[in-house]
Amino acid sequence: MTHAADHSPVLERARPETAKPREPRIGFEGAMMTPGLILLAALSIVPFLALIAMSFSHVRLLGGVSLDLVGLRNWARFFTDADMWMSWLRTIVYFVLTVGLEMVLGVAVALCLYRVLRGRNVLLGLLLLPMFVAPSIVGLLGRYLTDSTFGLYAWVLRSLGYSGDILGSPISAFAAVVFMDVWEWTPLIALITLAGLASVPQSVREAAAVDGAPGWMTLRYIVFPAISNVLLVALLIRSMDAIRYFDIIWVTTNGGPADATKIVPVRLYETAFRFFDLGYAAAIGLAMLAFSIFIARTFVRLLDVRGLTR
Amino acid sequence: MSTTEAPPRHPPVTAAPRGTPQSPLEETGRGTRWVVWLVLALFMLWTLVPLVWMLMSSFKNRTDVTAATPQVAFQPTLDNYRGLFSGPNNLTPYIWHSVLAAGISAVLAVCLGSLAGYGLARTAMRGKRHLAFWIISTRMAPIAAVVVPLFIIFRGLNLIDTIPGLVLAYLTFNLPFAIWLMSAFFAEVPPSLEESALVAGCTRWQAFWTVILPLTKAGLVTTFILCLVFAWNDYAFAVVFSGPNSQTLPIAASQLVTQTGVDWGQLTAIGTIVVVPMMLAGLAVRRWLVTGLTLGAVTGE
Repeated sequence: MTHAADHSPVLERARPETAKPREPRIGFEGAMMTPGLILLAALSIVPFLALIAMSFSHVRLLGGVSLDLVGLRNWARFFTDADMWMSWLRTIVYFVLTVGLEMVLGVAVALCLYRVLRGRNVLLGLLLLPMFVAPSIVGLLGRYLTDSTFGLYAWVLRSLGYSGDILGSPISAFAAVVFMDVWEWTPLIALITLAGLASVPQSVREAAAVDGAPGWMTLRYIVFPAISNVLLVALLIRSMDAIRYFDIIWVTTNGGPADATKIVPVRLYETAFRFFDLGYAAAIGLAMLAFSIFIARTFVRLLDVRGLTR
Repeated sequence: MSTTEAPPRHPPVTAAPRGTPQSPLEETGRGTRWVVWLVLALFMLWTLVPLVWMLMSSFKNRTDVTAATPQVAFQPTLDNYRGLFSGPNNLTPYIWHSVLAAGISAVLAVCLGSLAGYGLARTAMRGKRHLAFWIISTRMAPIAAVVVPLFIIFRGLNLIDTIPGLVLAYLTFNLPFAIWLMSAFFAEVPPSLEESALVAGCTRWQAFWTVILPLTKAGLVTTFILCLVFAWNDYAFAVVFSGPNSQTLPIAASQLVTQTGVDWGQLTAIGTIVVVPMMLAGLAVRRWLVTGLTLGAVTGE
């Protein structure tokens, strides 16, 4: 997992000798990076600056795009908007529920799969399928399955005694979108955890077994510490995507009923592309960006500290 | 673990054949085995039922699709698929837009990403960590926060409702992803290989092109496929940037949901068309999926 070769002192010393002069060597790597980085800068720094500018202005779209500076008005609105705070709260609940359930289920499934010795690859292949489904299709499929008159899951629930409209009442709609997200992304956690489990040394687990440690103790004191890094990576990867995607909610409930599923990105889309209040949307966007940069920071620091790559 | 008294029959160093435990100490008790199979069976049901149901419904006729009691035994028909490719709402342009936008953005991301990724993996420049952080945070930026300024910029540049506009929009997440992931794959290749190529008289470019790049073929394919999947599955960008001349498949699917009602037969058919190619592509690179999806932080099995 670590690339010891990269940092071996012998190679570090050997490198300048083989590559002739020092200047062109840096130049070559720089030249390789240039086209990609220029495009990336155009696609990230320019929009970022535009986003900042927009958050301080009123954006007009009619008759050509124009920005009228309004100072801190968007930000004042951002911090005093009670609906907005509710949205953040809802986002946090949604985030904790989806990522939490995915982690618990994913690790459980991975531990089970790890016990399976015959046909593990076939099972894993089948379990991974939801990851490749477009989130918007997941949402539409979820709508089909939970429709109160002909949905398969609604029918199952009806025979169990629940006969409400699942996407029609706030709590069940919220639960439904959470479960759709869990359906799609639990396999990712299971896949990553399984890779971590495969790297726990055989000898250590054998030693635990020889010492007579019961299964759960081996799990608690041997397996979990060994895969904690991998679990953390899985958590961070999932967290960053959990705030990126909102397609499922957008196509199922569109934030409703009664705002029950209106998480922050959905509200941003509504503000920007239904009410065309792009200045306020930019302020919301910057706040979301701050959150994701925090996660990115943690991710990179984790890689640096624990030496997972590079 | 009641098997501790069993004497080890095979020499400890060799790996056990597939399907048997690595070590007799690892054998699972019967109770645990039951729990394992129960959990897996339930999870398989939970995972596969919606997909199988979608596939089945796409072959049902109008009455079976919305029957109050789920129809398992039904007369399969191709009407839904036929309806998609004939009549006023032909699906062909949507497929074409999806293929173009996702394909071009994935190809561009892999080309530029492998060049920049190689540079990033081998460079010793001072600001490398900041550079790496900038790249990864671009990948992680919430779509909603990217769409708003891009919308304004694209309006200014007349890129709304064009395929190049969609390609650029998809590059905002595919390019940093490709750079980061390819640099992780290049970091796996020991630098001594290039050094021997240089000693043998190659230029830096020749060393990259003839020695290093062929060694990272798996990485290139994985990166390409993951970029393709991300772009193909996108809905949030397409719903804002695409119009009649550039609408992609996920948009076509969501457009079937109207005030007057939904043709669920056709919708499940589109769903199948969107999903199946990506599943096949994804499973084709299964071995490198862990590396790819964790952005190179965890190496697979």
